Amino acid sequence: MAEFKPYTYFQCPCSDNSVSVREVGGANPAGQEETDEDERTFDPRAPRANYSLYPLEHLLYCEDCHQIRCPRCVLDEIVCWYCPNCLFEVPSSSVKSEGNRCTRSCFQCPICTAPLSVSSTEPPPEGLGAEYATVSGTYVLNCSYCLWSSKEIGIELDKPNSVYAQLAKIKNGGEPLLLPKERRKALEERREAGEDGSHIPGSKEEQELDAESHFYNLKSFYQEQLSDSSPAGALGLTGDYGYGSPGALSRIMGLYTSGALGDRKSKNKSGTMREAHDALEGLQITPLSASDAIARLCTSGWEGTASLSQRREQPHNPRFVSDLRPVANLLRTKRSKRCKTCRHILSKPESKVQKTHFRIRLVALNYIPNIAIRALQAPSAPSGLLAPLKPTQFLLTFSNPLFDSVRVNIATPAHTPGRFGSKVTILCPQFEVGANTDVWDEALGESGGKAGSEREKRRTKAEASEGQGQAEAGKIWERGRNWVSVVVEVVPASLRLDGPEFLKSEEQRRDAGPLREDEDVLEIPVFVRLEWEADVAGEEGGGLATGNKEKEVREKRELAYWCVLGVGRIAQD
Amino acid sequence: MSSLKRASTAPPAPKPPVHFAPALVIADNAALTGTNLISIGLHTIIHPRAKLNSTYGPITIGSNCIISERSQIGFQNPPSNSHSEGVFIENGVVIETGAIVEARKVGEGSVVEVNARIGKGAILGKHCKVGALCEVQAGEIIGDFTVLYADGMRRVDRAGIEDLKLKMVGRQTEILRKLIPSNPTKFQ
Repeated sequence: MAEFKPYTYFQCPCSDNSVSVREVGGANPAGQEETDEDERTFDPRAPRANYSLYPLEHLLYCEDCHQIRCPRCVLDEIVCWYCPNCLFEVPSSSVKSEGNRCTRSCFQCPICTAPLSVSSTEPPPEGLGAEYATVSGTYVLNCSYCLWSSKEIGIELDKPNSVYAQLAKIKNGGEPLLLPKERRKALEERREAGEDGSHIPGSKEEQELDAESHFYNLKSFYQEQLSDSSPAGALGLTGDYGYGSPGALSRIMGLYTSGALGDRKSKNKSGTMREAHDALEGLQITPLSASDAIARLCTSGWEGTASLSQRREQPHNPRFVSDLRPVANLLRTKRSKRCKTCRHILSKPESKVQKTHFRIRLVALNYIPNIAIRALQAPSAPSGLLAPLKPTQFLLTFSNPLFDSVRVNIATPAHTPGRFGSKVTILCPQFEVGANTDVWDEALGESGGKAGSEREKRRTKAEASEGQGQAEAGKIWERGRNWVSVVVEVVPASLRLDGPEFLKSEEQRRDAGPLREDEDVLEIPVFVRLEWEADVAGEEGGGLATGNKEKEVREKRELAYWCVLGVGRIAQD
Repeated sequence: MSSLKRASTAPPAPKPPVHFAPALVIADNAALTGTNLISIGLHTIIHPRAKLNSTYGPITIGSNCIISERSQIGFQNPPSNSHSEGVFIENGVVIETGAIVEARKVGEGSVVEVNARIGKGAILGKHCKVGALCEVQAGEIIGDFTVLYADGMRRVDRAGIEDLKLKMVGRQTEILRKLIPSNPTKFQ
């Protein structure tokens, strides 16, 4: 089993926890359910809790709402599209018209997804003046990782650049593929030929259409049918009662908008639509027997069959490795994030693709204290598991990123929710964490040295008085410049379900099933309430001077949220 | 500067018997240990800190090979009787940094990439490629033109550019010959 790493997840207040909350402890009367939502304990095991818990690094903070914002309560806005391979920005208009793939020369290997490079099939020129010689010959796409080459699917290119446009014209095996424009032209030519004489039965090549020309043929055929069968009326209404006719919908709409007009118009009836009946019109007959494919499967074997992940990358769902095509790189986006409530921007990257800076980035890491968990004593068991029913102490270290000192109140339920309620006691639930200072102030400033030494003194004093190794109720364990650690005592529950009946909690009596996955993980819900006095003048420009001096305008701030401490796994005895 | 270094009081370990072809490059810092014959072919490059261990069997390296630094050639621990023939590396093979090669045979033009590992008695065909961190089990036989990549994936490469690749390895050795100072006399 992998080693358990303690974790802290923060609950975003955006989630509706009225449903996710389960009754805590069996002793509560049924009337408890009617209590206010605020008084309920957050249950980290509730099915919905998964969607509201995030590590601190994933959270943002809205300065205007003074609230934590999670990925679910921000709005994403796309700043730009770019290709991750060539780092060229793609305008959103061409994303709309040409799709979300790089249309330059960036391709992924269809076998292993590594980037492909273009190389010449001719050996590089040697000898004197080799660097001036023009490289001739054909080019192939090469994968430097799995050594796949487009030669294997019979594709060779004439130019080393604009590979996307070249590939659009070549089928696997080297046969030319018609571009949409040419396709249209060919279709018109054929149609004219068809109108002149009797219909020419399609050759085999004509019968097999690739996805794009299939779609194009079908589309043009039905468009023609539409315009033939229903000449639009003056108001876009057509009179036609035939089922399956395109006029039906507009007629029904007409009933609601202008019924009388529709009735009058419906007297002149026109012909119904017919379906496509050859390849020219987009008819493709699915082969009923798969004998071809089976025969191919027999000859090519396992090696020649495309894997599921390879097929998923391809738009045409190929079955064999020889049908795979190079995959154009998917474009990426840079996004800015807005608060859903107040629409202020929380995060905005630099719009240039190459720059990794952020213009605005309000991450929660800079606003709410981080909580680190550490076992106070080294775990007795070599496995690192928590011994059941044995009091174990953990250190919670709160580090304050704000430049104001923060009063912290923390609270936990006496028993963790769930079938196996472990006892939790926070020895010091109320404390103050010092302000954060600039790292350089401390290191460089002269006064910093003095204050620092004073603080050091305080810290050593705290250590001396509180006594290392003996946690005392109501006192903090250790204090630093902008951090405080407190002790939490946990008595892990026993994971046995076969104990005497009177020892069991109501939940265990109700549900005596075997231990479920991760039910042995001890998770403690903790309610954290922060209070601090923020400098308003700095934030709002001090424009609202109401007689007070700007510097002294300080506002009391409060922030409260649930978080979950994953402490460890309980040993099964 | 070497005179300032503290010399070990223990007598140096006996040098393994070697057979060097002319015009090979073997760096001063390469480590050749063992008791069996180590023979190295024409134009082969042995990088500094490459380790060739012939304690449990002879090592034969063909011509135009590149053995990179920190790679380990030869059995690392005593083999079972079935594969005690030693390690044979054919011409034009590239062994990259940190690879461990205990194969019975590595075919011509093969590439063993960074930190790959070829088990005892395995036979690698011609023009194979063992991708970075890939592993060939002991006693396995890998056919010609096989590419091992990713997490144990295999495919057969039919690009047919092996001559070009051999030529490129030849060029690489030419350049490395200028870059790496050779000292074959130290090992003879």
